[in-house]
Amino acid sequence: MSLELTDLSKSFKDDTVLDGVSLHVPEGKTLVLFGPSGAGKTVLLRLIAGVIEPDTGQIKISGMDVDGVAPEDRNIGMAFQNFALFPHMDAHANIASPLTAQKQDKSAIQAGVQALAKLLKIDHVLGHKPKELSNGQKQRTALARALAGKPKILLLDDPLRNVDAKLRFEMRLELPRLLSDQNATVVYVTQDYKEAMAFGDEIAVINGGVVQQIGTPEQIYLTPANVEIARLFGDPVINFLDVTPQKDATGVFALISDKRVDLDAGYSHVVGQDCSLGIRPESVLFVPEDHPGAVPVTVEAETPLNEKTVNLCLTARGREIMASRPSGTDGPAIGAAFVTIEAANALLFDKLTGALIEPTDIAVKGKVA
Amino acid sequence: MQTTSTFESVLRGMAITVIILFFMFPIFWIFLMSFQTNETILRVPPSPFFEPTLTNYRSLISGRLEGSTATLEIAFMSNLYNSLFLSVTSVTVGLLLGVPAAYAFARLKFRGSEDIAFTLLSFRFAPPLLVLLPLTIYFQQIGLADTYGGLIWVYQLIVLPLILWIVRGYFEDIPADIEYAYRIAGHGFWATFRKIALPLAGPGIAAAGLLAFIFAWNNFIFALVLASADKQPVTVGALAFITASGINYGQIAAGIMLSIAPTFALALYAQRYLVEGLSLGAVKG
Amino acid sequence: MATATAGDPPKRKFKINKRYLPYLLSLPALLTCIGILIPFFTAVAYSLQRYRLSQPWAREYNWGENYLNFMTDPSFWNTLKVSMTYAFVTVGVELLLGLGIALLLQKRTRFNNFVSIMLLMPLMTAPALASLMWKLMTNPGFGVLSYFAELIGIEDMRWASDPSTAMLTVVIVDVWVYTPFIMILLLAGLRSLPRQPFEAAELDGVPRLFVFWKITLPMLTPFLLTATLFRVIESIQQFDIIYAMTQGGPGDTLTVFQVEAYLNFFQSTNVGRSAALLMILWAITYFLSNIFIKNWLRLREKARGDA
Repeated sequence: MSLELTDLSKSFKDDTVLDGVSLHVPEGKTLVLFGPSGAGKTVLLRLIAGVIEPDTGQIKISGMDVDGVAPEDRNIGMAFQNFALFPHMDAHANIASPLTAQKQDKSAIQAGVQALAKLLKIDHVLGHKPKELSNGQKQRTALARALAGKPKILLLDDPLRNVDAKLRFEMRLELPRLLSDQNATVVYVTQDYKEAMAFGDEIAVINGGVVQQIGTPEQIYLTPANVEIARLFGDPVINFLDVTPQKDATGVFALISDKRVDLDAGYSHVVGQDCSLGIRPESVLFVPEDHPGAVPVTVEAETPLNEKTVNLCLTARGREIMASRPSGTDGPAIGAAFVTIEAANALLFDKLTGALIEPTDIAVKGKVA
Repeated sequence: MQTTSTFESVLRGMAITVIILFFMFPIFWIFLMSFQTNETILRVPPSPFFEPTLTNYRSLISGRLEGSTATLEIAFMSNLYNSLFLSVTSVTVGLLLGVPAAYAFARLKFRGSEDIAFTLLSFRFAPPLLVLLPLTIYFQQIGLADTYGGLIWVYQLIVLPLILWIVRGYFEDIPADIEYAYRIAGHGFWATFRKIALPLAGPGIAAAGLLAFIFAWNNFIFALVLASADKQPVTVGALAFITASGINYGQIAAGIMLSIAPTFALALYAQRYLVEGLSLGAVKG
Repeated sequence: MATATAGDPPKRKFKINKRYLPYLLSLPALLTCIGILIPFFTAVAYSLQRYRLSQPWAREYNWGENYLNFMTDPSFWNTLKVSMTYAFVTVGVELLLGLGIALLLQKRTRFNNFVSIMLLMPLMTAPALASLMWKLMTNPGFGVLSYFAELIGIEDMRWASDPSTAMLTVVIVDVWVYTPFIMILLLAGLRSLPRQPFEAAELDGVPRLFVFWKITLPMLTPFLLTATLFRVIESIQQFDIIYAMTQGGPGDTLTVFQVEAYLNFFQSTNVGRSAALLMILWAITYFLSNIFIKNWLRLREKARGDA
């Protein structure tokens, strides 16, 4: 079933939590709601679930306006960030609750719970009360409960937030398969950009109650709508350098440590304007001194980060730049070195508003120059 | 820790002893009296040593006081029964009315909810006679005078605010997400109320019920104004008792002991909730 | 094993509109109490009437006359004086005693907990029955307290039947019943206070009396205020203890508001005066309970927050 939200707003007292949010999730697709805490993501899920009502706007499930439809009649499954397990019921009864609501007979409930519990590896703790479960088991129980009713719409509110790193890693692998098996339309809330990239067919970046950008993970990563989104997506975090684009006969360029870095010709309309140049760490490459456009830096430190190795460098003007490369490849020694910046992958933002500046012509992005 | 001198701990011990004496002695003394005959009670000087007898209790329970001149019928057991009946039904009615209302005030913030809740609370602090005196006249007109029904209704004045404000707090302590989760799982409002809210607020409801029972049992003024002899609870009955001629003091004492025993037992049982209940939820025990 | 409902789009069922649900839930409780609001307004009307049950033919509105008469009515001023005295003396003594006991029992030891539970027993005693108990103990003939009084040289102590000691007697009963209330409230308050300021003061060797005045007492203030107001409101309305002990006597020594109103209504059948007295009492308690509720709400909010 598809899910369509139109112009949803919600305030509590004087506090506007959501301000005109419109989203569309096609049937069977996963939309990730990504944003910092307090952005309004959880409230949005509750509106979809029908446990609170929007001030204005419309929610359509399968094309039908669900205004006034009670939560129990919306065929929705939801996993809460704090699990929200029923403390007085054991894990079995928790998972079975959507099935008892559907008035299934005992053996069907039994079979349904068993199958899910086995899948999620909690079949040995079904008799335990929530307070006797580990965090990971609670999380799986909550997930099983959300899935048990075979809902066609699944709302997952940061389900991996409160579990330890190892489990989060495992679930990141398991969950996509589990979700695709369900063939459900999923809204997944997270604050973790890797989860967002891994799970989302589309990602909606939401902040301050407003949707700032909607797009595929690639779109969000390669053309973040503003400085903030660029910062949130990517690890290590994107580098920003203040530049003022200039133009001469050969094209548009910026000066970094007095070295010329060529920019896309489409940026000619912002020549002379204060900008932030965003450079992903993986686009900062170490090169020999004689490489054209090589910028001198001082390598300060080296940190391995999973499959990547990150170097912290200082430019001649004392600004920090991070460079990352696949671990195991050759890197610079601590001390003086030279880097080049892949201009085609650099992003230009308005210094004042933080908004992304798109090149005017049909410049091709994401291609190595 | 600052050093506590021996002098100080002796002082402390003495203070606690005096306090325990003051607060416990009356109960202890009446308890002793209830096992004595008039002869030993009237001894000068009074003494805690005597041959205990159960005759006081026996005659109260049988309802016949064998006096020196004649046999006196007394209705103490029916007073006790009235107390029990009035308290139990008042609390039951109070719970049936108060728990859903408490849930509405806790969960469904609605227009005017706080005002209504306060109005209900302010009943707790208004002079009871202000309501009782006109009620005596009304009750006569509508035929509720001297009925259990009328009394139970008026008892809601004490029982309802207590239940409402204590239980409301317990409902507010249940995370809303837990109820949401049950709704989303496909259960209706009432099923959620019954299967989630009620069980989770269970201890609070029980505590409020017990406290309401204690307050109803100890009430004096409502029944004094509105009930005649055959509907009177022990608090009012015992008063008539002391002025009746031919009664032994030991029997009064025994009557008092029987009347305070139930609230003592409940208080011991529910002591965890007493602080919270007595302060209407302002202080956690 | 998809069920019938799972695949279908959500269906709209007839439901009780959410907007009316809260009212529906609280309506029975409200109706019960509204039945009690009617007598309140009747009492207002009575207080504005010349109305004696014994002379129903003379019943008429005399508007403020009942209230005006109070100005020149020494027995009204006596009622006001007795009620105030009773309220201030009982609450004052209970506050000091309750605070003292709470401080003594502050530490969470098994013994202290046991003592504090024992001390609750008087509070669980019906006030009317407590009066009876003390009546038995102060009986001039065989009362054990009369005997004690004699032992310390007070001959022929007649307690509640003597105008000079009647107030003292009922105050003792009130203190006996209600001090435990203040005690447990303050005990809970003391035990909920944060520990750091006290530990810091101890490390710095601040004298304990100073700690009490400058740290304990200010932090305990909301609890003290709640307990005090709660008790003043109840004490100024006291009926059970006084009525059960002396029915307001001897003479008019103990004719506090509610006792006086009760006697006016049932003995002299002066409904108008009785209602006017109660309205004045209501005005006093309403004023106090408004302050109280504000303070109480703050405390309750805090208690919920800590939980």
